[in-house]
Amino acid sequence: MKRRHFIATSSAALAAGFLPSCSGKSAKPTLTVFTWADYLSEKAAAAFEEAHGCKLVIDTFDSNEAMISKIESGATGYDILAPSSYAVKQLDTKGLLQPLDHSKLPNLANIDKAYLSHALDPEMKISAPYMMAPTCAAYLKSKVPDAEPSWGLFSRADVKGRATLLDDMREVLGAALKSLGHSLNSTDPAQLEAAAALAIQWKANIAKFENEQFKSGIASGEFHLVHGYAGDLIAVQQENGDIEIVIPREGASFPCDDLCIPKSAKNVDLAHAFINHLCDAEIAAENMEWIGYRAPNSAAYKSLSEDFRGSAILFPPDELFAKCEPIGYLGDKLPLWTAAWEKVKNA
Amino acid sequence: MKPSRIPLVTTGIVLAFFYLPIAALVAKSFNSSRFSPEWKGFTLKWYERLFERDDILAALVNSLKVALIAASASMLLGTCAAFALHRYKSRLQDAHRMMVNVPLVLPDILMGMSLLLLFIAAGVSLSLATVTIAHITFCLSYVTLVVLARLQDFDPNIVEAARDLGATRLQAFVKITLPILFPGILAGGLLAFTLSIDDYVVTFFVKGPGSDTLPTLVYSMIKKSKELPVINALSTLMLLFTFLLVFASQRLTRPVNR
Repeated sequence: MKRRHFIATSSAALAAGFLPSCSGKSAKPTLTVFTWADYLSEKAAAAFEEAHGCKLVIDTFDSNEAMISKIESGATGYDILAPSSYAVKQLDTKGLLQPLDHSKLPNLANIDKAYLSHALDPEMKISAPYMMAPTCAAYLKSKVPDAEPSWGLFSRADVKGRATLLDDMREVLGAALKSLGHSLNSTDPAQLEAAAALAIQWKANIAKFENEQFKSGIASGEFHLVHGYAGDLIAVQQENGDIEIVIPREGASFPCDDLCIPKSAKNVDLAHAFINHLCDAEIAAENMEWIGYRAPNSAAYKSLSEDFRGSAILFPPDELFAKCEPIGYLGDKLPLWTAAWEKVKNA
Repeated sequence: MKPSRIPLVTTGIVLAFFYLPIAALVAKSFNSSRFSPEWKGFTLKWYERLFERDDILAALVNSLKVALIAASASMLLGTCAAFALHRYKSRLQDAHRMMVNVPLVLPDILMGMSLLLLFIAAGVSLSLATVTIAHITFCLSYVTLVVLARLQDFDPNIVEAARDLGATRLQAFVKITLPILFPGILAGGLLAFTLSIDDYVVTFFVKGPGSDTLPTLVYSMIKKSKELPVINALSTLMLLFTFLLVFASQRLTRPVNR
């Protein structure tokens, strides 16, 4: 009998679970944002909800490509997207975005001009830059003495088998192109050929191409030199003081995620208000310290804590910053890159 | 003769294989260091953060809701399908059998994309409901096959005996067939529950605004979040809950008089 009782109670619990799943419509307008998880500070979100009497609904994606394929198939219900710049370009090429109405976005005046000069959408026609962080090299000071801040680190004999590069075509070939003095987004076959040859040299020296373990790997000292995203590396550095992060002097990728509005958006006005809100100097300052990335917002820089503003990684000297580039959209030149990358992976 | 040590050793290895990764995860949820595999001090901060994170708890609730509904619905539909497949032999049922089997081998990405296209073509807006429907779709095949296997061992004479003794069709079904099949149905349901609760690919395509489940949120957190260890804390709590549940069900189902 006890068994039956157990089944009866558990099925009652099951039934209870069904009921709340149908949610009533609230009177408040909602703004849905399709973005990365943990990519908006709780304060910035709450301030927006309060100022506009609305509810923010966050939905997350974990890769630009998956997000694009979903939007391209016709998925609707999103008012704001926050993909990387090259993905914005790709969405726009497919005609999935609507132009920004600058009359509703006075805070765009805050955006960093030095960044815009090499952004993919310099006039902010379809997107406003949100957050950016470079892709860097990091090494253990005690294991890699006299390290030069250069991509040449990856060919040093003393890091053999103790280094990792990202398992990412754009980052690795981009780094190789940069160290050869070319653009990160070059589509010149000869330059790509040379970059692939250099990447093959690096490959012979490193332990592996790797996107996740480099963090714990350098924290524990298993790896002496890694290639990784600044956001992650800065967090790892806080746990291990022996780690030094550098933006190689040849330049690096400095990818930015942008805010844009899909054509299918329902609350276009509210979406503009949201972009404007995030470009506000105070909000942007709080938001970037919370996330740990840099918002290209000149007006916000002075409100940052000294510690954050002093980061040579997020705020490199002008000269070096000028050498950094966002990752561009390759369009129909993509096969050139994939062919070069295949060569590296098979070498 | 001394009893062989081999069973003991293999049991030990199997248990270590199962539980060492889990033990590592539990230990890590109390480690104050986020990256280092080494012990950097005991902390409860990940647990504190977990209870402040409404989005993670909402995703957990979404996951549980979807898994419970998908498991129950696929138990019901899968049992019906298994009966049809078992009872009737015809060309139509051959086709049915094949179509039940196909989703087992269909790549998730194909299923996710095709369901998305279907929902869009039908004008259904994406939400937790579309996620649930999608999960029922892929759980159904598993439940059907598990119940079918149980049905094949089932002796139809028992039902006939019951009918001879005066039971109505319904009585025979409720008192004889169902109790005998129930372990199979429940096993199918549990399988469906676990498949549903950790599905990522299909869910990503058919979810709509505000219907993040735990897997979709966790995958996204891997990319930018500073608070990933919160997930270790959540996993530890879920593990504890599962152990309690298994313990309770064993207590409840233990025969009273030996």
